[in-house]
Amino acid sequence: MNRLWKEFSKGLWKDLPPFKLVLGLCPVLAVTNTANNGLGMGVAVIFVLTLSNFVVALLRKIIPPKVRIACFIAISASLVVAVELLMQAFAYPLYQQLGIFVPLIVVNCIILGRAEAFASKNSPLLAIADGLGMGIGFTMSLTFLGGLRELLGTGQLFGVHMAWEGFEPFGIMVEAPGAFVSLGIVLAIMTFVENIQRKRKGLAAVQSATHDCGSCGGCSNATKS
Amino acid sequence: MKEMIKMMVVLSLICGISGATLAALKETTAPIIEEQVLTYVQAPAIESVLNEYDNNPIKDRKKFDVDDQTVTVFPAISNGKLTSVAFETSGKGYGGNIGVMVGFDVNTMTLSGIGITTMKETPGLGSRVAGHGYTTQFKGHSIDSMKLKKNGGDIDAVAGATISSTGTVSAVQDAINIFNTLKTQFAGDWS
Repeated sequence: MNRLWKEFSKGLWKDLPPFKLVLGLCPVLAVTNTANNGLGMGVAVIFVLTLSNFVVALLRKIIPPKVRIACFIAISASLVVAVELLMQAFAYPLYQQLGIFVPLIVVNCIILGRAEAFASKNSPLLAIADGLGMGIGFTMSLTFLGGLRELLGTGQLFGVHMAWEGFEPFGIMVEAPGAFVSLGIVLAIMTFVENIQRKRKGLAAVQSATHDCGSCGGCSNATKS
Repeated sequence: MKEMIKMMVVLSLICGISGATLAALKETTAPIIEEQVLTYVQAPAIESVLNEYDNNPIKDRKKFDVDDQTVTVFPAISNGKLTSVAFETSGKGYGGNIGVMVGFDVNTMTLSGIGITTMKETPGLGSRVAGHGYTTQFKGHSIDSMKLKKNGGDIDAVAGATISSTGTVSAVQDAINIFNTLKTQFAGDWS
């Protein structure tokens, strides 16, 4: 039970996908122009990531190592198409807003990374916990960034006017430059906080992004988890 | 050898099951998606071109066969009488097809307006055919002739966007032809 909680909770802060692992930044930049879009994209990713982790963990003993990447991609691509169809059927306005970034969930590093680094080596139950944790962490990050950009860029949050009278919105925040700027600032703040915590524990300061090698699976170091 | 066979079998099975599941899912969601697309993509244009109505044009839509194409017509009914109809045609624009929703007033036999549904025209230039300034020319226009000013008609093109304007007008011309072919059938189906 302890192990289950540990796998679930690491995605919520310690290994926060976009801000700590610095993975999956493409949708983070593109769809966080409003908090609602960020939330919608996050929910789609939770669905795909959790199910993908579950199926990969279920099949881990029969997928031959030489074709494992092809199998992971086939599984996650099918799940993404399923999400796309369901979104079109039950949340069409959200689909219109997210546009091409729904199919792009397939190439989101987080999905393939977790399949390779975790789901293919652990039981289905742990894989679900990992997927859920990472997915929820991703959703929180997207909604937070989306809310920040929407608030500063339009004075609204989830479509509700929040700013005071005479507030001049920073239009740039909802455009591409604002995405880069706000992501950079959030990453800087998180690294700063992490450095303070490390100093307290007597550790060295963070040199680069706390990139968990195992979560990428892109090189031979991928066996570390 | 055995390893190769295992690889082929596993991959084929995974892809086969994915394909079957997705095909089934697509079949079951197809009608729901059609409704959704109509509600969110066509509906805004339909509302802007039809006269007053107290029915639901999308729910009352009917398909008609004209020449070699099928046209979905959306009726506007007020107090049980058909007042106007709308259907979508397309014309060749600069960046692809321009979808135009054309509305006809069946009592006065004039256009009740047009609305652009889908287009890929140049933003700020060709995309202005979707703007009020351009589309308002079609409201109340007669259906006897439909041409741009430079071709002898009376429709002002968008300055600097000849192709987009010509595409839109050609879509409206097609719509007029379809309307003339079908207008006798309308009264029969919805009165």
